[in-house]
Amino acid sequence: MRNKLTPYLFVSPAMLLLVTFGIFPILVAAVISTTNMNISAFANWGNVKFIGIDNYTKLFADPDFWQSIGNTGLFALFGVPAIVVLSLGVALLLNHSQNGFFRALRAFYFIPAITAIVAISLVWGYLYNTQFGLLNYLLSLGGLPPVQWLSDPTLAKFSVALVAVWRGTGLNIIIFLAALQGVPKEYLEAASLDGAGEWKKTFSIVIPLMRFAIFFVSVTTTISWLQFFDEPFVLTDGGPLGATTSASIFLYKEGFRLNQFGYASAGSIVLFAIIAIITLIQLRLRRADDEY
Amino acid sequence: MKRTARAALAVVSVAGLTLAMAACSTPAPSGDAEGPLTVWVMGDSGTNFEKLVADSGIDVDVVAIPWDSIDEKLTTAVASGSGPDILQIGLSKLRTFADAGALLPLDDELANYPGLDPANFPEGVSGTATSVGGQIVSVPWTSDTRVLFTRTDILAEAGIDSPPATWDELRADAKILAARGDGNYGYYIPQWDAPLPIEMTWSMGGDVIDADGNVDFDTPEFQKAVDIYTGLYADGSVPVNGDFDQTQGFISGVAPMLVSGPYLGKGVADSAPELDGKWQASPLPAGDGGSISLFAGSNLGVWYNTDQKDASLKLLEYISQPEQQLAWYGMTGELPTVTSALDDADLNSDPNVKVYTEQLKTAKVLPLVSNWDGAVGTELLNALNAIVLTGADKKTSLETLYSKTSGLSIN
Repeated sequence: MRNKLTPYLFVSPAMLLLVTFGIFPILVAAVISTTNMNISAFANWGNVKFIGIDNYTKLFADPDFWQSIGNTGLFALFGVPAIVVLSLGVALLLNHSQNGFFRALRAFYFIPAITAIVAISLVWGYLYNTQFGLLNYLLSLGGLPPVQWLSDPTLAKFSVALVAVWRGTGLNIIIFLAALQGVPKEYLEAASLDGAGEWKKTFSIVIPLMRFAIFFVSVTTTISWLQFFDEPFVLTDGGPLGATTSASIFLYKEGFRLNQFGYASAGSIVLFAIIAIITLIQLRLRRADDEY
Repeated sequence: MKRTARAALAVVSVAGLTLAMAACSTPAPSGDAEGPLTVWVMGDSGTNFEKLVADSGIDVDVVAIPWDSIDEKLTTAVASGSGPDILQIGLSKLRTFADAGALLPLDDELANYPGLDPANFPEGVSGTATSVGGQIVSVPWTSDTRVLFTRTDILAEAGIDSPPATWDELRADAKILAARGDGNYGYYIPQWDAPLPIEMTWSMGGDVIDADGNVDFDTPEFQKAVDIYTGLYADGSVPVNGDFDQTQGFISGVAPMLVSGPYLGKGVADSAPELDGKWQASPLPAGDGGSISLFAGSNLGVWYNTDQKDASLKLLEYISQPEQQLAWYGMTGELPTVTSALDDADLNSDPNVKVYTEQLKTAKVLPLVSNWDGAVGTELLNALNAIVLTGADKKTSLETLYSKTSGLSIN
């Protein structure tokens, strides 16, 4: 009897945290999404009415919602490969040597990941500024006209995503470097004896052995792009004309600026469903770990 | 050993969690009825407010709230039921605050405080002008308006003798000024300035609220305003980048004309004293309806469940005295709202301030539609900016605006 209870005792703290801060809020949001709750509910709870799936029908007919979903999809489509490939490339290069210079470079690449987003946004905001920005100054030195980094609806998407890629690579480089340490030296030595070059060794031995790390990074990066919020929030506030409004920014604006709690909850349930489905697909696609 | 450590950790985390939850469920103390009044002051004027009320005999605890976090702050304060005693409310947020039930109706109280009588304040902002649901929920505090600022030296160089008096003149002058070339413009339209098209509509003689109190943009006057707005862009007279700095643009002369508030005048006077005498404020350009500008600024309200109602109203009356209002202007540059202070001869000896106070006499507040900024302002800017920045079809964009704002009303 005692042995049967022990495992539950050990998982209970984690379970309790998960239920309190993970599952319970989702259930609350699901309930709120079927009501017309807005800020007047605080004045009088009688103002809250059950309205069934009205929020969802309204949501699916809202062009702003679809624009934000489209933006999020676009960000994820280009952002995930960009971060995975860039982090992997940098990690492979950094792994070439363990000397002081390379160790300093590692720290250098990790700095964006640990810098406060507000500081980052201020600096990038100045770099991108059309009138006084460094980027446009450099262009002007080359005789090129100024570029509207954050004001042009198409270019703003790229500018905001670039900051996110720059910020997102640091942590993933560290994960890849750790995975690289786990590649057995024997395999590489054996391949060298057989006459394999650097490229052959990298693509036929190192990368296949890092499959789990690549999978892990892909899943976490996908989720973070689907929840993309910080960079557009501080750099453009979702503008210009909603071009950088991600799904999370859309929900934030509906919920906390327009105080449409019911409507925003419906949106968050839809976003939750989308993320859950994509993650499940990724898990399915991953074949069982092959061991060499 | 390891097992003991993990068990200990589990116990600690469970205990911590319980404590945290207990802390959440304990109602926040609502303040002793004898304690200091908590006052939410917007922006960075907290220290000045402490100075202003230092001699009032009322103990005050000032909390400075950044302008852009007020929505979140309100939501959490209303949800938790623990707010301040007095709070400053930007006029565009008044309706939202009142709808949330955050403000104490003051109709029955004002009779006991003659200093707060709506008759003491300009009609555009007191009494019924800012009542919500037929109830007075705030008293005016500071006023702010929009006027035309021009670099007279640059205009004179371009052969323009006086600042444009009408919107048509402004468009023509802007075109002349933009022709100076070299990245120079004639005028500046802030892409975030939602009240500007409304001011234009008012000046054209129209309104954006119909006789039944519904939001209605489908009027000939609004069309005229849109024509001016889009025309300025079509002429190439205004910068298209959203991060254009208006104060720098004005000082450097890149954008020598713009419509802004007294804060711009203060910014220019502070950061470019060498320009003294080379710029001036003048009334908002007129249309067929005259020069009708925006009555912005802030009111003060009393939190709905304060336990220090009398002390709060006493403090409001104290700072509504003309001398206190003028002292506040001296500290912050924010204009008074009490009519006798606005008429003060000393205050009006500055020709720019004279323009502000004159403009305030006909100025109007934005319609008190629930969540005006988020619902109407954003849609208005989206529609107009889509036309001028991305070349979207004018008719389609405006029709989207009409349909998105239909059904909103001030009732």
